Amino acid sequence: MTQWLICIDDTDDIGTKGTGEIAQEIGQLLMDYCQQHGIVSSVSAVTRHQLFVHPDIPYTSHNSAMCFELVADIEQAIIYELAVAHLITESAAKADPGIAILNLSTPFDQQALIDFGLSAKQQVKTKQQAYELAQSQQLSLTEHGGTGQGVIGAIAGIGLRLFGNDGRVKGQVHFAGLDKKSDKQLTVADIIAKSMVDKVMDLEGAILTDDQVIDLSGKVKAVYHQHQYTLLVYRDEQKTWCNALKQHLKQY
Amino acid sequence: MTWFTLIDDKKLFNFGIDDYPQARDAAQSCLYFIEDDEDEQIDNVVRSCYNCAYRRWLINSFECKHQA
Repeated sequence: MTQWLICIDDTDDIGTKGTGEIAQEIGQLLMDYCQQHGIVSSVSAVTRHQLFVHPDIPYTSHNSAMCFELVADIEQAIIYELAVAHLITESAAKADPGIAILNLSTPFDQQALIDFGLSAKQQVKTKQQAYELAQSQQLSLTEHGGTGQGVIGAIAGIGLRLFGNDGRVKGQVHFAGLDKKSDKQLTVADIIAKSMVDKVMDLEGAILTDDQVIDLSGKVKAVYHQHQYTLLVYRDEQKTWCNALKQHLKQY
Repeated sequence: MTWFTLIDDKKLFNFGIDDYPQARDAAQSCLYFIEDDEDEQIDNVVRSCYNCAYRRWLINSFECKHQA
C-alpha cells in the first residue's frame, strides 16, 4: 500500500478553526473517499510541529505545522484535489496556507527534508528555499492564498515528521472503554492496549515497564518520539507517576 | 500590576515565556481572554495568557494582539 505524508501550515487566524482540525478533516475526507471507492485506507494521528518564532516570520499566533500519514493506493491527483479544496474552504481569510504532499514510495532524500525541517525550527527560511527543495524531491508543494508563506511550514512539517522526534500529537489520548473525563489509574500495559500510545516514557527519556502504574488526569496528551506515539510521565511529590503537564510538553 | 509594556505599538508581556503564575494572573484580570485551540495551549490552567488566542509568541516572550 502506498504511504503518503500530508502537511499543512498557516491556515488559521485568531478565533478561527485551528490548522490541526483542518488537517484532521482532510484526513477524514480522504478516508471517506477511499471507503466510497472500495479502497482500503488508514490515516494516522496528526502531529503538530513547532517552527521558529521570529519577528521576520509572519504568522498569526503559533507558527506550527500539522502533518499526518495516509496509507492508501490512491492517485496523488485525488489527494491533492480533495485536500486543497478543503484547505481553501476552511482557511481563514487572512491566512497564507500551504500544503505539502509526499509519496513515501517514491525515491527522495529523507535527510534533506529532515535537515530543512530542523533548520526551520531555528532560523528564517524562504519560500524559494522551500520550493527548490520540493522540486528536487518530487514533492508536491503549493500555496493557496495570501502570501503563500505556509509552504515553508508545510514542507518543514514533512521533514520533522520524517525525523520522528518532534511534535505533540493533536488532541487527547482516549482509552477504550473508559470515561474520557474521569481520572484513572492504569498500568503501562493497559495504556498501550487501550489507546494509540506505543510507549510510556519519563521526562528524562527512560521507558517505563509494563507493570508500572500511571495516574491519568486532566487532558492526556502524547508526543512523537522515535516515530512512536509516546505518553510522557513525571513523578509527583508523592513519587506517583502522572501524565505530563502541558508545561512539560511545551518543548515538543 | 503591570503585565505588559507598549514598545513600538506592540503590547509585550513583561514576564517571558515561563512565568506561569504571572500569565494566569494577567488573564484573570483581562476582559478579552479567549481560549486558544487546545493543541496550542501550554498551561494546564486554562485561563492563562499563555493559552490565549490573542498571544503571539516571540523568542523571549509574547505579544498580546488584542487592541484594547
